[in-house]
Amino acid sequence: MTHTFPRPGERHLSVERRSVAGACPECGAEQLAEYRVLGDGGWFDVRKCQACLASVSREPAPPFGSYLPLGLRIAREQRT
Amino acid sequence: MLGVDVGGTFTDVVSVRDGRIEVTKVASDPADPAAPVLAGARRLGLDGATVFNHASTMGLNAVITRTLPKVAFLTTEGHRDILDRGRIWRPPARQSDTSWRRSFGDVARPLVPRYLRRGISERLLADGSLRLPLDEEQARGQLGVLKRCEVEGVAVCLLNAYVDPVHELQLRELVQETLGGDVAVSISSETSPLAKEYARASTTVVDVFMKLIFTGYAHALDEGLREAGFAGELNFADCAATLLPWDEALEKPFRIVFAGPAAGTRSGAHLGEALGDRNLVCCDVGGTSTDVSLVVDGAPFVDNTFELEHDLVINALSTEISSVGAGGGSIVSISHSGDVVVGPGSAGSDPGPACYGRGGARPTVTDAALLMGILDPDAFAGGALRLDELRAHEAFESLDTPLAFEERVGFAFRIAAANIAEEVTNVILRRGGDPRDFTLLAYGAAGPMLLPAALDLLHVRRVVVPPHPGNFSALGLLSSDLVYYDSRSAYVPLFPESAPRIEAVFEEMERGLSRRAGREGEVRRSFDGRLFGQSWETPFVQVPDGPIDVAVLVERFHETYERRYGNRFPYIPVQGVSYRVELRVPSEKIGFAPCEPGGVAAPPRTIELRHFGAEPIEAAEYERSALPAGARVAGPAVIREGLATTLVAPGQTAEVGSLGELVIEAAA
Repeated sequence: MTHTFPRPGERHLSVERRSVAGACPECGAEQLAEYRVLGDGGWFDVRKCQACLASVSREPAPPFGSYLPLGLRIAREQRT
Repeated sequence: MLGVDVGGTFTDVVSVRDGRIEVTKVASDPADPAAPVLAGARRLGLDGATVFNHASTMGLNAVITRTLPKVAFLTTEGHRDILDRGRIWRPPARQSDTSWRRSFGDVARPLVPRYLRRGISERLLADGSLRLPLDEEQARGQLGVLKRCEVEGVAVCLLNAYVDPVHELQLRELVQETLGGDVAVSISSETSPLAKEYARASTTVVDVFMKLIFTGYAHALDEGLREAGFAGELNFADCAATLLPWDEALEKPFRIVFAGPAAGTRSGAHLGEALGDRNLVCCDVGGTSTDVSLVVDGAPFVDNTFELEHDLVINALSTEISSVGAGGGSIVSISHSGDVVVGPGSAGSDPGPACYGRGGARPTVTDAALLMGILDPDAFAGGALRLDELRAHEAFESLDTPLAFEERVGFAFRIAAANIAEEVTNVILRRGGDPRDFTLLAYGAAGPMLLPAALDLLHVRRVVVPPHPGNFSALGLLSSDLVYYDSRSAYVPLFPESAPRIEAVFEEMERGLSRRAGREGEVRRSFDGRLFGQSWETPFVQVPDGPIDVAVLVERFHETYERRYGNRFPYIPVQGVSYRVELRVPSEKIGFAPCEPGGVAAPPRTIELRHFGAEPIEAAEYERSALPAGARVAGPAVIREGLATTLVAPGQTAEVGSLGELVIEAAA
């Protein structure tokens, strides 16, 4: 049976947080980062201050987050 | 005496001097809310005024529209989302809606955004014992974030703080040390020291908002009134329309967040006392909605909590008011199935009903009343507005229905009355009452016009139209006592050996109230209790004067339980949960001037009422001020006064009572 993703090698899973330039409009700290989060409303791509955790932006992400179902992957490959 | 009701659009000021009532209306100013209040007060005159009673919906409007200051919420670590979680109750209208779900996070526009809700490492257990000491270093770290975010206020609600406030007091000191003494702080153990952390938390959050909204305003108002020559007492009305001195109100301002709507009920109770009528259903019919509330055994029906919006609970005594979207401005429409529908949409005051001539094109209940001949187009709102019958006619003509014109108009009026009648009946039945035991009090500008028409649907004893029905709610601010109250929670089984502990809880609260009030008053004790195993309380079990006798408390609990729910379980032990003390200080109130008796007045003229049936009917038209006490008017008739019109329907009689009230009954 083929897995659609490799078995994780890390002991703990974590989301990569990419630092971005700019100051937090709430606390002024220059510690903004972009990453994907899962909330009660689904997956979101957020830009948050790492000092106070205020959300600077919050955009809906794909419904399954980073996971791409096999069927969708095949369909996408067939289109291309 | 002066009373002021600050609404979102208008500020109404009412003055009673030597029995004469004067009213003025000033446009509200959210940027400087004290200015219109002072302008209205100066217009009516402050010389010799002894009390200035104030109600406002400023706090409510700020919460509903989320125009709120930046406030933080501190709670025990791991519990910061209790403000989102609420009580996990679904809205009543969504009970069977599978798609409804509670929003979490900032999507639901929480009062405090999630990044300003911070967990503090500490833990007290439910019996008050220490599980984890407050970690000052961790708390300072969290407060450092709040300082950088420049919050204006902080609400603190730690788990089990109602049992022992030690950690909340410690945290308040840290807040003031880190953020400065100017930051408003509310701690739950002082604001609302009651069990159940969600209601305690939401009450504390609203309290700190109200501190920020009302503190500057109240000081400005007090200074402005003093400069204008006012030397009396400035009082604020609370959610049950009882009064408290303004500086006392600022100690726990969550109590005044929803002042205003309850004033009409308070006014009704005051009139009922004067008339010897102790069971009333109060109906305030305005332009958009009808507020229905009960007075039972002479007192407004008061609850121990209320919701500002769905599941936003406030632990404050409040008059229970139920609203239905039916009023003078309710829009008449045709449903998909061809029925005439009235409300819940309203034309409001702008553009208003079509007959106002301000651009409204949709027919309303006021348009129907005008076309039926009930309203006088030249004397509406004291002659301030000329009503246009042609526009009302065009609005009803525009309805897409095969119904005849007279049916559209007649049905609209009767359906509006029936909608209100349905809500009135629901309110009485929900509280276990029988409509036949109640008198319906009809006030608000449209109440005397619509409610007598619903008399045959309601099965109430009678309809009473009070004096000054258009200003009756505002007069409630001048019909109330000063009431100081306090409450505490302590889970105590009602066994004989518990008496000293219960006595100690009451005595501690009474000492505090006496200190705050600084004057004598009537003390009333009550408690909220439950049967062992229940998770909800039966509120307002009255405690008799004198030393605590637990057997009497248990019996009072079972009596209250049976009265509210119809059952009695004397074999199940009772547990006391919350204890309440009220210190009631009598205040100067408005008196209803006796109406001079006289003979039956002859109607000054006869008018034609249309659309009641197939043919127009002739009706007598009276001026209310010309009717003496004892005068009897047989329907159909119309009785006019400055801000209201009373309809006496065919088959009804109206009699003028000793205080000028109109008593309308079905003819025998």
